[in-house]
Amino acid sequence: MSRNSELIIGLAMLGAGLGYLYLTMQLPRRGAVDATFFPYALGSAMAALGLLQILFTLRRSGFLPLAPSERLQPRQLLTVAATLGLVAGFIAALRPLGFPIAAALFLFAQFWLLTPSTQRPRPILYAVLAILSAVVIFVTFRYGFRLMLPGGPLTPYLP
Amino acid sequence: MLDLLLAGFGNVLSPQIFILITLGVAVGIVFGAVPGLTAVMAIALCLPMTYTLGPAAGISLLIALFVGATSGGLISAILLKIPGTPSSIATTFDGAPMMENGEGAKALGVGIVFSFIGTILSIGALMFIAPSLARVALSFGPHEYFAIAIFSLTLIATLSSGSMIKGIFAGVAGFAISTVGIAPVDAITRFTFGRVEINAGFSILTVLVGMFAVAEVIRVAESAHRKGGAPITPPLLVKIKGFGFSMAEFLGQIPNAIRSSLIGISIGILPGIGAGTSNIISYIAAKKRSKTPEKFGKGTIEGVVASETANNAGIGGAMIPLLTLGIPGDAVTAILLGGLMIHGIQPGPMLFITQGPLVYTIFAALVVAAIMMLILEFVGLRLFIKLLAIPKHILLPIILVLCAVGAFGLASRIFDVWTILAFGILGYAFVKAGMPTAPFIIGFILGPMAETNFRRGLQLSAGDFTGFLTNPIAGTFLALAALSILWQVYVALRPHKIATLPNAQD
Repeated sequence: MSRNSELIIGLAMLGAGLGYLYLTMQLPRRGAVDATFFPYALGSAMAALGLLQILFTLRRSGFLPLAPSERLQPRQLLTVAATLGLVAGFIAALRPLGFPIAAALFLFAQFWLLTPSTQRPRPILYAVLAILSAVVIFVTFRYGFRLMLPGGPLTPYLP
Repeated sequence: MLDLLLAGFGNVLSPQIFILITLGVAVGIVFGAVPGLTAVMAIALCLPMTYTLGPAAGISLLIALFVGATSGGLISAILLKIPGTPSSIATTFDGAPMMENGEGAKALGVGIVFSFIGTILSIGALMFIAPSLARVALSFGPHEYFAIAIFSLTLIATLSSGSMIKGIFAGVAGFAISTVGIAPVDAITRFTFGRVEINAGFSILTVLVGMFAVAEVIRVAESAHRKGGAPITPPLLVKIKGFGFSMAEFLGQIPNAIRSSLIGISIGILPGIGAGTSNIISYIAAKKRSKTPEKFGKGTIEGVVASETANNAGIGGAMIPLLTLGIPGDAVTAILLGGLMIHGIQPGPMLFITQGPLVYTIFAALVVAAIMMLILEFVGLRLFIKLLAIPKHILLPIILVLCAVGAFGLASRIFDVWTILAFGILGYAFVKAGMPTAPFIIGFILGPMAETNFRRGLQLSAGDFTGFLTNPIAGTFLALAALSILWQVYVALRPHKIATLPNAQD
C-alpha cells in the first residue's frame, strides 16, 4: 500500500473516532459511569489509533509504488459502482416489484456485469438462470419455509 | 452423560436431521472447496432455512455446514494449489507437489482421512473439557465475564493478520457499532437517529452477512474485468483405490496426527487464532519432528496430515469457548452463535444445565457430520471436483440474493436488507484498507458482553474499579490482555527476520 493510501486510512480512522465522539457528546449524562462511558472510551481509542496510524505512516520509509495490477482501473471502479447500484436497486424494488421480479432482474444484470472480460456474455442462458433461480428461491422460502417474501404485483395470483 | 449422548444420537439419526446433516456437509464441502466461498457464506445462506426448523434440526444443519466447509478447503488446496479457506494454506505446501508428482489421489485420501481423525479427536476433547469448564464458569460473575471479553478482544485484535494498529482499530470499531441501540443498565437510546428498527441494535447476522458475503461480491465485481484471470479447469484424477495409501503409511502418521490434533485443539480454543494459524504451526512442528524434513515442500504425506488434522481439530476447540462461555473465536463460530441465538439458545455455562439434551445433540451432530464428511468426500470426490468449475459470476449473485432472503427473514423487514448492503460497503472498505474483518466482528459480539458486565460489576463493587483487579480470575485475564498488547508492541518494534515456508504463497 502506498504512503498516501495509508495516510488516507489514518485520516479516515481519526475522522471515524472524532465523529463517534461528537455523537457521544449529544447523549444525556447520568453520572461518571453511565451509558456514555464506553462510547467516550471507544471514540477516544479510535481517534488515538487514527493518530498513531498517521504518525507511523509519516515516520516509516520504504513504501513501494503500487504495481499496475494493484491500481484500480476506471472500468473496475465502474463495475463496483454498478454492482452497488444494482444491489441498491434490487432492495428498493423488493416491495414494489415483489421478490420474484426484482430478484430475476437483479440476477440477470449481475450475471452480465460480473462476466469476466475473457468470456462472452450469454444473455439467453443468463435470463433462464435468473428467472429459474428467482422462482426456485421464492417458492422454496415462501411455501417450503413459510417466509413471506414480498410478492409485489404477483400477489393476487399467488396461491 | 452417556444417556444424554445416546439421546443426542437418537435425535440426529432421525431421518429429518440425518438428511439435513448430509446436505449440510455436502454444501459445506462445496463452499470450502471453491476459492472465494467461505464457511460464513454457507452458514449465512442456509440460516433462513433453519428459521422454521426446531433448534436441534437447525443447529445440526449449521454444524454440518461448519464441518464440511472446514474440510472442503483441502480439495482445491491439493488439486488447484489454491487453498479454499485459510485453514488449508499449509495443505498446498505438500498437497500440490504430490498432485504434480501424480500422487493427487493419495494426497486427497490422506487429507480426507486425517481431517476426519482431527475432527473426531477434537470432538472428544470438546465432550471432555466443555462440561467441566462450564461447571467452573458457573461461578463466574460480571467481573470475570468482563475480563474474559476484554482478553478475547485484545487477543484477536493483536493477533490478526497485518498491522496491529488496524487490528485493534477494527476491534474497537466493532465494539462501537455494538453500542447502537438501547444501552444496558440505564436503557438510554444511543446513536439510533430516531430509527426504531435499530433500538435493539444491529443483528449479528446482518453485520456478518454484509461484512463477509456482500463485501466478497463487491470484491469479485472489482476483479471481474481484470486481465489475466484464467477460468478454473478441474484437473483429472487417475483411478483411486481405497483411500490411496497403505496401512503402514497410515500407522506411521499416527504420532504426527495426535501432535497436530493437540495443536489444532489448543489453538482453536483461543479466540482469534483458529484453523488459519494452527495448520501452519502444526506443519512447522511436523517438519521439525520429522526424520525426513528435506521432503517437506516436495510432496510428503506428513505435511498434508499435519495441516489437515490440525485445521479440523480446531472445530471442537472453537466450540469449547462458544458453548461454555458464549465467546466465538472467529467469524464462523460468530455466525454459529447468531444461529444459536435465533433459535432462542444462549450459549454459556447455564446451557449445560438448562439445555443438557440439546448440548449433547450438538456433540452427536458433530460426530455424525464428521462421519458424513468422510463418506461424502470419498464417494463424491469427482462431483466436488466438477463443482470447482462453477463460474463465480453465476454463483455469487445467487448467494447475494439468498443472503438478502436471510436478512429479510430475521424480522420480515426490508430495513435489514439495507443493513447488509451498508455493512457490505464497510466490509469492502476494510478489505481495501488492509484492515482485518474478524476483530470487527468479535468486537461487535463481545462489546455488549463487556459493557453490560462492566456496569454490573461496578454496581456489585459499589462503583469501585479495583474490583476488576482484585478478583483473581478477572485480574489474571486483564493482566494477560495487557501482556498480549505489550508483547505485540515489542514484536512490532524489534527488528524481525521473515520465516520462510516451502511454496508459501505471498
